[in-house]
Amino acid sequence: MPQGLPQRDKDGRFALLAGLAVASFGVVVLGLLRLQVLQHDELTRLSEQNRIRLDVIRAPRGAIRDRSGRILADNQPSFDIVFRPAPIESTLRVRAAIDPVWLRRVAGAIVGDTTDIRRKVLEANRTGQTAVLRRAAPYAVMAAVEESRSDLAGIDVQVAPIRRYPAGAMAAQLLGYAGEINDRELEERADKGYGLGDLIGKTGVERGYEDMLRGVDGAEFVVVNAMGKRVTTLEEGPPRLPVPGRDVTLTLDLTIQRALEVAMGKIDRGAAVVLDPRDGSVLAMVSKPEFDPNEFSRGISFDRWKELNSNGAFPLLNRATQSAYPPGSTFKVVCMLAGLKSGEVDPESHMPTSCNGGFWFGGRRFGCWEHGGHGSLNLVDALQHSCDVYFYQLGLHLGLDPIAQMARDLGLGERTGIDLPAEAKGLVPTQQYYNQHFHTGKWPRGVLLNLGIGQGELLVTPLQLATMTAVVANGGHAVRPHVVQSVQGQATFKIPKPVEPGVVTDQANWNTVHDAMHRVTIPGGTANASRTVPGMNVAGKTGTAQNPHGKDHALFVCFAPMETPTIALAVVAENCGHGSDWAAPVAGSLFRQIFLPDTGAVNERTLHPVVAPVDSAAD
Amino acid sequence: MRLRLPPLDWPLAFATLGLIGIGLATVYSATSVPGAHQGLWAKQFLWFVVALGFAWIIAAVHYRLYDSIAWPLYAASLVALVAVFAIGVERLGAKRWIEFGPLQFQPSEIAKLATAFVLARFFDHARLDLRKMRWWLPPLFITMVPFVLVAKEPDLGTASSFPAMLVAMYFWAGMPASQLVLGLSPILNVMLFFLTGNVWWFAGLFVGVLAWARPRVVVLLAMLALNGAVAVTLPKIWNHMHEYQKRRIETFLNPEQDPSGSGYQVIQSKIAIGSGGLVGKGYLKGSQKALAYLPMRHTDFIYSVVGEELGLLGSLTVVLLYGIVVFRGYRLASIARDGFASLMAVGITTALFFHIMVNMLMTIGWAPVTGVPLPFLSYGGTALIVNCIQIGLLQNVALRRREY
Repeated sequence: MPQGLPQRDKDGRFALLAGLAVASFGVVVLGLLRLQVLQHDELTRLSEQNRIRLDVIRAPRGAIRDRSGRILADNQPSFDIVFRPAPIESTLRVRAAIDPVWLRRVAGAIVGDTTDIRRKVLEANRTGQTAVLRRAAPYAVMAAVEESRSDLAGIDVQVAPIRRYPAGAMAAQLLGYAGEINDRELEERADKGYGLGDLIGKTGVERGYEDMLRGVDGAEFVVVNAMGKRVTTLEEGPPRLPVPGRDVTLTLDLTIQRALEVAMGKIDRGAAVVLDPRDGSVLAMVSKPEFDPNEFSRGISFDRWKELNSNGAFPLLNRATQSAYPPGSTFKVVCMLAGLKSGEVDPESHMPTSCNGGFWFGGRRFGCWEHGGHGSLNLVDALQHSCDVYFYQLGLHLGLDPIAQMARDLGLGERTGIDLPAEAKGLVPTQQYYNQHFHTGKWPRGVLLNLGIGQGELLVTPLQLATMTAVVANGGHAVRPHVVQSVQGQATFKIPKPVEPGVVTDQANWNTVHDAMHRVTIPGGTANASRTVPGMNVAGKTGTAQNPHGKDHALFVCFAPMETPTIALAVVAENCGHGSDWAAPVAGSLFRQIFLPDTGAVNERTLHPVVAPVDSAAD
Repeated sequence: MRLRLPPLDWPLAFATLGLIGIGLATVYSATSVPGAHQGLWAKQFLWFVVALGFAWIIAAVHYRLYDSIAWPLYAASLVALVAVFAIGVERLGAKRWIEFGPLQFQPSEIAKLATAFVLARFFDHARLDLRKMRWWLPPLFITMVPFVLVAKEPDLGTASSFPAMLVAMYFWAGMPASQLVLGLSPILNVMLFFLTGNVWWFAGLFVGVLAWARPRVVVLLAMLALNGAVAVTLPKIWNHMHEYQKRRIETFLNPEQDPSGSGYQVIQSKIAIGSGGLVGKGYLKGSQKALAYLPMRHTDFIYSVVGEELGLLGSLTVVLLYGIVVFRGYRLASIARDGFASLMAVGITTALFFHIMVNMLMTIGWAPVTGVPLPFLSYGGTALIVNCIQIGLLQNVALRRREY
């Protein structure tokens, strides 16, 4: 017998130890039963959630085409470097954002900024949504990421469509651009199903027609591993296919647009608009300086963004619709028409004081641009030579209301209602306006002189000028400028009715105005430079708007061919000088290109272009 | 000629082989996912062959030898435990290994065996009287020295097996269960405090323990004082703990609260086991495992892979096999006629038993994550060799159970 061991009680002690073993293993068995029987369904669900992720399939945005179907904006696949947050239970989820080694590795691979990456990753971890760390990554970055994939937990490459503008900067402000949605937009459009990383139209047509261009994103269930890396798609749940956005066809004519860009080549800042005077379609629209919207598709850096917005030139601004200028002498057309319509003057009317280079009123001399003076002119000659002294007196004679009314009827002073966002209103002063700014009834009549020559408080956008020209050209029929002709699958798409009523007056008056404007472009007129196509008559009016901040703005409005107008053009060249020297030649260049295709300029438009009726052009 | 089988404990042998077989198959499955070390099962098989050789030798040598070298071995293992702090290899923030060229071993495993030998040798004494301090205090020191050293590595899971062994051997050497429970009461006190949040649960229990143990007045007063001190200071210590320390304890008690830390492993393990259901997702078909959600799936959390792929059926089979190992271990202790052999068997079996429970309860979320591998199943050469040596020691006892 062993010494000391209590042999007598050995069986009892064994029984107790064996009982302890049974009890302990019993506890394990209870735990197993709890998990594998009682909580089986719940834990199976968690297991599925663990491995299944809902991935968005981006819907391609609708294309934007010109009136002949030529592509202005479409999509191309982009390889984005994204961060997918790990499942909520994962330690990786927390580590990813705070691990400096990981951050440095990612920043190195995608050539990015650690602060920026960290911010996006934290946000993604908070919301559980995928964050795009680098859009449209070049091949070298893709290769770097693929190479060190195993060290870059959560980093993935995702194919998503991005916007492509094949014509580059052409019509950039009109088309606008689409970029990643920002926080404010996300908040505003939360109820419309927008999410982090969505593409959204920011300006121009891209913004104005966002609801149609935007498709409905699809989704698919994918099986992922603990690193968040996609392993395969889930067989049990078929993907919900994305619905592509609708294509939008513009009234824009790429040929005319190109010609106008060429014609505006010498202008650093300014805008030009070509309307079809028969229906108000925008055929071309240029705003200078321009920008390349493709830059935004690839994801623009903050520095570049600042550069674009801070050099004073504001390339993102669509000067054609968002900038307002004094119309200068182009406004004389309005005064002339107001005078004729009221019956106060006729084509042969002379003003009491003949032009000797200036006009005294209220103890102050108002100069004429022709310092030597024009002598005594009738109405038609006064317009041809743009005699300021004549129009000072005409303004005084007519008074405020007929002129303001005519301006409004022609589409000035109110938004034209074009289908582009953030249109400027301009300003046509009325009695009410002056009553507000001076004491009621006490405003000086001197303002009428300025009004007569298109200076003073008057402000118009280049688009309004083009609209005015179109209405003059078509004999008083109001038009509503618009850029979209049809939307795919929207047969009921209608161009809204004009905002302004148009002008009702005798045909003789129209003939007078047209004749006077025609004289502007013949030798001896101020805009002979616009007459570049033999046999085609052009009717126009130059303008030189005084600019308190610098050199005068040069303006020119015209329509052609005069007898059957298909083009109504307005040109504003900022800080250039005289309209006859800078703006009228733009028209000349444009006409030469689009009506004389054999001069070598890119063109196929003839003297009698056919404009499709808008209503039947849908889809 | 008739084949004469040695009088091995065959249920123990087959249960062990069954567990190792399941272990190899599960290691294969756990590492069959892309990106894992796919050859590990073969490596583990080689380790098994080596381990079998060790077990054979350990079983063949008479246990008298272990009895006689107990103290030198114990001393050597303590030296190794100290050395591990200086020359040990650090992995996952813990220094547990010493390297000999390509071989690595954990001194704590040797210390475990040595401590079992020394305790068995100490208790196997003619004048043993556990009511006297001269007899019950030295074993406490013998155990606490390696316990503290191992706990400092840190390896709390392995360290805890030392006191577990001691308690079982106290009991086997004749200490009444009531006295043991009374002696352990301060530890129970702490555990109950963290489980229930106040000291009153323990207070009620303590009255019952006193009534059962009926200690002498001196002991009664000492235990009252000790537990009183615990009850008073524990809430204060709790309030003075750092946030992260509190969180660690809370994570253990409620892993869902901290799904990013060690709670992650437990949640994933529970999801894996639970989604296995009755019959499992099928061998090699565990999705949690395949998609790498399950952490340490071929080592510490291998039982979760069994649960996911083989379901309740597989999990219970493993429990049953462990039950056989533990039951046979204690049975051999009660059969053995030699005191040293009997006590050693209890110590060895308890150490195994403890490790099994700590790991299994961890995978089902009922014990803290301590990094203890599952004997025979988890991948790892050292652990497998040591576990087979333990079985070899039990078979040693079985071979000589009729000897005095």
